[in-house]
Amino acid sequence: MKTALAAVMALAISSNAVLAQSALPQQNSKWFTDAEAKIQEMVAQQPNTKRAKNVILFTADGNGVGTNYAIRLFSGQQAGLLGSEYVQPQEAFPNSALVKTYTTNGQTPDSAPTASAMNTGVKSKNGMINVDESVAEGDCAAGLDHTMKTFAEIVSEAGKSVGVVSTARITHATPAAVYAKTAQRDWENNAELPEGCQQKDIAAQLIDQMKAGVIDIAMGGGRGQFLPKDVKDEEGKGGKRTDGRNLVEEAKSLGAQYAWDEDTFKALGDGGNAPVLALFESSHMKYETDRTGEPSLAEMTAATIKNLSKNDNGFYLMVEGGRVDHANHDGNLFRTLTDGKAFADAIAMADELTNDEDTLIIVTADHEHAIAFNGYCGRGSPITGLCYDVDGAGVKHLDKPLLGDDGKPFTVAGFLNGAGSVLKKDDNWTGSRPDLTQEQAMDPDYLQQALIPMSSETHSGEDVALFAKGPWAHLFNGVVEQNYIFHVMNYAVNAK
Amino acid sequence: MDRRQFIMGALGCPALSAASLSLSALTPAFADDTVKLRDLYNKDLSFSDYALEREGKRVSISGFMAPPLKAETNFFVLTNRPLAVCPFCETEAQWPDDILAIYAKRVIDVISFNTRIVTRGKLELGTFTDPETKFVSRVRLVDAVYDKA
Repeated sequence: MKTALAAVMALAISSNAVLAQSALPQQNSKWFTDAEAKIQEMVAQQPNTKRAKNVILFTADGNGVGTNYAIRLFSGQQAGLLGSEYVQPQEAFPNSALVKTYTTNGQTPDSAPTASAMNTGVKSKNGMINVDESVAEGDCAAGLDHTMKTFAEIVSEAGKSVGVVSTARITHATPAAVYAKTAQRDWENNAELPEGCQQKDIAAQLIDQMKAGVIDIAMGGGRGQFLPKDVKDEEGKGGKRTDGRNLVEEAKSLGAQYAWDEDTFKALGDGGNAPVLALFESSHMKYETDRTGEPSLAEMTAATIKNLSKNDNGFYLMVEGGRVDHANHDGNLFRTLTDGKAFADAIAMADELTNDEDTLIIVTADHEHAIAFNGYCGRGSPITGLCYDVDGAGVKHLDKPLLGDDGKPFTVAGFLNGAGSVLKKDDNWTGSRPDLTQEQAMDPDYLQQALIPMSSETHSGEDVALFAKGPWAHLFNGVVEQNYIFHVMNYAVNAK
Repeated sequence: MDRRQFIMGALGCPALSAASLSLSALTPAFADDTVKLRDLYNKDLSFSDYALEREGKRVSISGFMAPPLKAETNFFVLTNRPLAVCPFCETEAQWPDDILAIYAKRVIDVISFNTRIVTRGKLELGTFTDPETKFVSRVRLVDAVYDKA
């Protein structure tokens, strides 16, 4: 009898479920209706199983889940919102995954093996690019015998064009992984190679790959890596090469178009099949907030897509927001976020210029940093500023900054280590948190407080997010290994 | 303000600012006529009006002491944000464009790269190559004194 009654009750509950929901007191809340609309969107979602003509891989260096969160709030607050509700362009993509970034020997990775994993499909050791894990870092001779084939080489054989764009030196680890193979990521020019090492430096490999027809467009910083020591570049800065080679002139002799500033960038024309080499700074390009006289990441991305789109067979483009990482290393959150917003603008630009039907766009990062977030901040607490108290009676934060047990305010975000450490060498590695005003914390040059003193803040091994849209983007789901990214790209371009 | 007054200010203000957030705007780095290094430059790295108007005059600039080349020197470089790497010591050092060369009145006592300091000296504009270090500067403070902010 008891069982029968329970069954009847269960039936009554289930049959009334819809009716009961229609009478939910919260059903007119915007939170409720937005989520209901999202359900309909998800139900209607159909996987795209066409062959991908184009693949664009966006990586913001050092833009893990935490850093991405900070960029979201910053972008929202810049747009006049409280921040958390803001949706970055990639966050509106239909597919996502968490990515495990460890390497074969690093619980905490660096940018060389992580980019290598995305470009070859296997993990390898820290410090090396597109060289397999059997080689010891820096073993030049062994590295030469254990190089791997890259996604760029695979798709260029299939007739696609290849581009690489970065705000870092184009010879820096992430962009280098598109075209170079090296047992040491720092071998960016010949002067960095150990004596007797037969491997070519990274800059020379870029020119070789242009000559071989693998790389069609390369844009970024790093002119110094391409010029001899006794040659000054257009901005008066000396080259770094000791072999006398002027790789810019060599590229030009291949017929390459060359740009070095905003004007020459704008003057780049339709060069037919000729490659493009654009080197906008002697070293890294400027942070977005300091940028003058050189194109933005979005502008470089747009120009590259327009050029590569001439190929009816499609293209592979890797775009790196290279300096999100550098600003995190500096402990200067403001520049992390302004470069992060510039990265998002480049994604929006690429999305606008391509078709979801034939272009797989992947947005991810290579690794996270030692960034962390305090609480309990009320809505709208500026992400670079102080953590203000929650308003129990409203939405936006109160005007009262929260205090630590030392009676001092603290910022929303901080770093576990780095140059912002409160422990100072001058004080025998002791210290206390300085007092802090909102004005000081919001200064564009402010370094968020950190604990462990280090000249350069470190990466962390924490997961990064991945967002994707286009053909076979639905293969990204759950928690994946970083090298899996290559396999989705490879599957998508070869799908029947 | 002479140096003694400045140091007194440096010692005195933190206690005040701890008592009240509104008073912390008086901390030395932001006090009276002290400006930040970045105020010498426009975004395109041309000299600001502030710099042009004060050429040849003594000014007070806050920033950070980059690690100096050697122990016994009266020369160091002031940066906007902490720069841990000695720019002379490594070929790969990333030397920011917006810097200030400081020629101190005395042999310097090194202050760690991430401690804000205030320097006061005579502002010189124009390219100058240091005959000893070969360091090329566009703007300098000479006959300078400095202390922690």
